Amino acid sequence: MDVPGNGFRARFNRRYAGAPLPWMLPVIVVIGLFYLYPVFDVIRLSFTDATLIGNEHTYTFASIIHAFGSPDLAGILLTTLIFVGGSIVGQQLLGLMIALIVIRGEKRRLFGTTILRTTALVAWVVPGIAGGIVWQMLFSEAPFGGLNSLLRMIHLHPVEWLSDPNIAPWSVVISNVWRGTAFSMVVMYAGLKSIDPTLYEAAEVDGASATQRLRFITLPQLRTVILVNMILITIQTMNTFDSIISLTGGGPGRATEVISLYTFNIVFRNYDLSGGVSSRC
Amino acid sequence: MITRLVGALALSTALCASLPTFAQDQDLAAPDRIGLSSAPNKLVVRLTGDSPGNTDPDIAAGYKDLFVAFIKKHPEWQLQLQIQTQDIGTEQAKMLEQAKSGNAPDCAAVDSFVLGQFKANNVLSDFTPYFSKEEIADLFPFVREGISGADGEIYAWWWDTDLRVLYRNKSIVPDAPQTWDDLKKAALASKDQGMEGVLFNGGRWEGTTFDWLANYWSLGGKLVDDSGKPVFGDDDNKSKFLEAVNYFKDLVDSGAAPKRVATIVTYDDLAAAAAAGTTALFIGGSWQNAQLESTLDPDMFADWTFSHIPGPTPDDHKTGTGGWTIASFSKDPQKVEMCADLVRDIYMGPANALQQQLPTRASLYDKYPVFSTPANKEFAADLADGQARPGAPIYPEISNQIQIMMGDVLSGSKSPEDALSAAYNASLEAYDRL
Amino acid sequence: MNSRAISRLGDVFSYVFMMMMFVFFAGPLFWLLSLALRTKREIYLGVSRLIPKYPTIDNFISVLTNNFFPTYLWNGLLLAVLSGVGVLIVALPAAYAFSRFNFRGKSAWMMGLLAFQMISPLVIMVPLYRYFSWLGLLDTHFGAIMVYIALGVPLAAWLLKGTVDSIPRSLDEAAMIDGCSRFAVFWRIVLPLSGPGVASVFIITVIAGWSQFLVPFLLLTKTKLMPIGVGIFQFQGMQNDSSMQLLAAACLISVVPAIIAFLLLQRMILGAMTAGAVKG
Repeated sequence: MDVPGNGFRARFNRRYAGAPLPWMLPVIVVIGLFYLYPVFDVIRLSFTDATLIGNEHTYTFASIIHAFGSPDLAGILLTTLIFVGGSIVGQQLLGLMIALIVIRGEKRRLFGTTILRTTALVAWVVPGIAGGIVWQMLFSEAPFGGLNSLLRMIHLHPVEWLSDPNIAPWSVVISNVWRGTAFSMVVMYAGLKSIDPTLYEAAEVDGASATQRLRFITLPQLRTVILVNMILITIQTMNTFDSIISLTGGGPGRATEVISLYTFNIVFRNYDLSGGVSSRC
Repeated sequence: MITRLVGALALSTALCASLPTFAQDQDLAAPDRIGLSSAPNKLVVRLTGDSPGNTDPDIAAGYKDLFVAFIKKHPEWQLQLQIQTQDIGTEQAKMLEQAKSGNAPDCAAVDSFVLGQFKANNVLSDFTPYFSKEEIADLFPFVREGISGADGEIYAWWWDTDLRVLYRNKSIVPDAPQTWDDLKKAALASKDQGMEGVLFNGGRWEGTTFDWLANYWSLGGKLVDDSGKPVFGDDDNKSKFLEAVNYFKDLVDSGAAPKRVATIVTYDDLAAAAAAGTTALFIGGSWQNAQLESTLDPDMFADWTFSHIPGPTPDDHKTGTGGWTIASFSKDPQKVEMCADLVRDIYMGPANALQQQLPTRASLYDKYPVFSTPANKEFAADLADGQARPGAPIYPEISNQIQIMMGDVLSGSKSPEDALSAAYNASLEAYDRL
Repeated sequence: MNSRAISRLGDVFSYVFMMMMFVFFAGPLFWLLSLALRTKREIYLGVSRLIPKYPTIDNFISVLTNNFFPTYLWNGLLLAVLSGVGVLIVALPAAYAFSRFNFRGKSAWMMGLLAFQMISPLVIMVPLYRYFSWLGLLDTHFGAIMVYIALGVPLAAWLLKGTVDSIPRSLDEAAMIDGCSRFAVFWRIVLPLSGPGVASVFIITVIAGWSQFLVPFLLLTKTKLMPIGVGIFQFQGMQNDSSMQLLAAACLISVVPAIIAFLLLQRMILGAMTAGAVKG
């Protein structure tokens, strides 16, 4: 251990380590150097009428007014809300349940916990386009479509997974939950593992049932994890568009066009730089 | 021991001595380079899968041979190959941004339908001096128009094309439907034999607009005027546009087409239904004939044929044409010339024959045996009805709006009138901002 | 009803639930496998046939023998792992500061950091490209890694703050009373006890880096620098000549390194857990 009181290092420690700044320095340098300028530039651009086409641009509020005034924006925000909300609920719920079962399984040496975890993980790391392609086949409404063939087999009505504008957003949510659950699972698993085991031991002594343990120990202890997880899923889902492109392209109409896809379309299909920016700011 | 060593030495010397002759071809073609790495002049070439980067080993090898043969004629050059992914819109947008930052490749594949954006930005080099008048005159008119700038010079070489046709299963639909009504009747009749009806692209992607436009064009409708401004909702065009939209809407409403057409976002879905035997009619691309031939059993394939896309009357029919061009972004005349030479030696014929992709010059159909087959002859004849998408910079937004409109109309969320006015207003607004 | 019977019943429920979840996650993957095992001929049958009639592993062979695929994999791994390490180096001290210091504007800092995460790289694509062109960092792995780090740090700092929070302050205080400097406390006490949190953050950032598309797509041009997230699209084929079978095979192969890394790290999480429990 260091002995305080002599030498440069000790003086340095006393002088600086007590202040938060040196600890924050790496973050400030990396973000400041590599990310801050483009972000400011974007905010500047959103006040212009710049497009990928042509170099000239003038400063104007029209881009922002246009983005906010677009008649489609309300629908797109609603779709985004369904997409993000559905994904948060689905991923957290499934992630928590799997993490709980996995931990229980580890304790009781049940078979298959690693297989389940790995499978969920594959769904997470597989490139988004693969998820899009595969779910498109599953949701296919052709007479030979994946899920509908199953439904027919058990004498249920086929579902218009992607052609009905009211159902399509939920189909997209399902495919996103499939992909994103492993993330929640990893976070929840780490959260569950770091709950002090003595809490459970005490509860056991008091004769608490499994539901009581879940309600009065696990969930309250996980509160921060769930909150952080929610923020993270929101951010990730807000930025997801690759799997939607290969699944529906945002259609039918604009039924599955979320805000990130809308931005992507504006910037890359229409080469409209400033419009794409303002819709996000 | 010593004898063996000497023997080994002798053998290796012999091997080395014989190496230069065949090693040369090997040295000439690295995965990302064609030509000797020591060659002084470099040409950065960015291509699609129509290159040694094709995923099919035979086609990749075929291209490699063409490229090696080409570079042997230009020993002082090396080509640095970059491959674009199939995410066309994103790739082309990136290239446009690179061109404006001065980082564009010297020679690159540009999709014919975004050529308008590149021309409008003046990032392409003039190709006219490197092609003869005869070569240019030999191009199909829509192709010549596509590559020409406002000044009449050409800025790219459009080397392959495709078109849309109506495929049908003869055992179920014996006669080629000539008109929209014919198609509807034939599709309804096919349903009695357990089919889904007629299939076409109706989902949210470029193919939907492209394939449907044939119907609008056959009524004489226009998307943009000569200045590139959207006009499809003005007094002249509105009724034509609605007629063409209502035609598709009626196909779905009457059951002649299943509702799921609004989810079809790849041509492969259409071929899949044909292969599974659930449809007898679909509007697809010319390249799908070869795909059906390779996928279906021969006796099943014998039932399939194609005809031109039906029009409102038997005489008015159009078809959309696409394809790829090669253009140069370089300011160095030597590099531009090298790029043009590459086009002439590789893409003006040999590449078409290698991949069986329809050439853009009438004379090439007779030159190569692969294009003399009855099917390819018929495609060539149908190209007379060919119409390319407008090269106006606003086109991508118009297409986007038409895709949205089609989804809204086919799924019944909006009336054609409302959907049209929404699409038209959005396009006009985007045009004003352009 | 004894507790053993209840446990048994619980096991049955666990198995049923695990089975259902397995079907949900594995089902689509089987379809992907089915595509990857098809010949070009069968690929156009699409969803109408699950089990290929003429299964082949040629697609896997042709992906693995592709000139660039191993390079893509290597680049992907390099970018992902280096950015994972970089994120930890940058985010851990910040997480420590957020957890242990009380300073003015702390919550503003944290929210500000999160706001960065809210800005999608999609939106800043073009300015980012122009900025990196000006810096001369286009077509370098260094440039791409730094952007990955900048993108990953906010999330990591938030998660790691939670981890550090869960380490009792009394431990640091005891150590400081013993004469440890803050750096020593951080290095010898906080870091070892953050094992599981650090490992999960590492996994999350590595996998996020592994699946990056936009940043490398934009900043890199040379084929030999491309990571797998971009390179994978080269197996898609052309619109008029799609090669879905190759794409599927490439996607499946690209998953393997990530899974191996995960399984190794999982041991680390568990190991660190037990170590932490003993000390705690």
